[in-house]
Amino acid sequence: MITSRLNLFLWIALIFYFSCIFYLVKKRSMALKYSLMWIFSGIVILLIIMFPNVFNHVMQIIGIVDASNGLFAICIFLFLVILLTLTAIISKMNNKIKTLTQNLGIVEKQIREMERK
Amino acid sequence: MIKSGEAKVLVIIPAYNEKDNIEQTLNDLKKNAPEYDYVVINDCSTDNTLMILKDMKAQFIDLPVNLGIGGGVQTGYIYALKNDYDIAIQMDGDGQHNASYLQALVQPIVNGEADVVVGSRYITKEGFQSSFFRRMGINFLSGLIKLCAGVKVCDVTSGFRAVNKKMIALFAKEYAQDYPEPEAIVLASQNGAKVLEVPVIMNERSGGASSIAGIKTIYYMIKVSLSIVLLRLSLGRKEKK
Repeated sequence: MITSRLNLFLWIALIFYFSCIFYLVKKRSMALKYSLMWIFSGIVILLIIMFPNVFNHVMQIIGIVDASNGLFAICIFLFLVILLTLTAIISKMNNKIKTLTQNLGIVEKQIREMERK
Repeated sequence: MIKSGEAKVLVIIPAYNEKDNIEQTLNDLKKNAPEYDYVVINDCSTDNTLMILKDMKAQFIDLPVNLGIGGGVQTGYIYALKNDYDIAIQMDGDGQHNASYLQALVQPIVNGEADVVVGSRYITKEGFQSSFFRRMGINFLSGLIKLCAGVKVCDVTSGFRAVNKKMIALFAKEYAQDYPEPEAIVLASQNGAKVLEVPVIMNERSGGASSIAGIKTIYYMIKVSLSIVLLRLSLGRKEKK
């Protein structure tokens, strides 16, 4: 169960977490587009600590004896979502870089031929 | 159908660190198939392949970053598409493939008998046959492709193949990035291509090392098998002609 002490600690951690994201976005170190999945994860945790009693109750219903274990499970789930998103982003970027490289190579050949003439 | 004399043919030669073989490959090509255009794709070689190509005044595309064999070959297909070639042939830059067989690869496409022609060393079983374990792996992949795509190709890993215009457009758009040969057969076949195998004799590579050895073999088998199955699942049933 989420005790009031744990709840207090989670509030502090979450404030720190959101400040980090805000700082990175403000510094343009992280594109707003990619910060969304982190912000979404933060909101899920925020909802949990805003309504700890609801969370405790829901955990009991789905058969998780200690709600803090549920917190772990939710964190792991959020990690998986973020990692999957990242893999999709990397694949897309990989494809873009590949296409750029290929076209750059072809254009370079054309330039070389034009210079020779 | 295209007339033999009129077909614009491009030979794509992917090359990564082929300083020992590339000159011989190009000379073989100039001697045995002078009527075909060719382009070498230098996949950011770390040896002096680029220097040799420049000295030979060869036709080449120099990729600024290493893309791997699939990305390299695909560059050739994009080039073929942009320059409106009717037929594209893939030929390794390591001296394993003889230019004297190019005509045999092109002919079925010119006759309209096939969309993809694969040069196979296992039909007449002549020339370089590769090791027992490698053949076992190739047979397994061959069986898997038969199962998934319904086409019988013996030498699925052969990088010696010719394709027609329709397949040039397909491969320019979609082509696996590493170890693409077996996957390309499935991709072509699922897009309604007729795949034909013709016998060729290959040489043992004269220099350099095979890109697949040791622990990579395991990765190769798993990756290729998985991607064949996934490709089959994602493309669904064969396109009806």
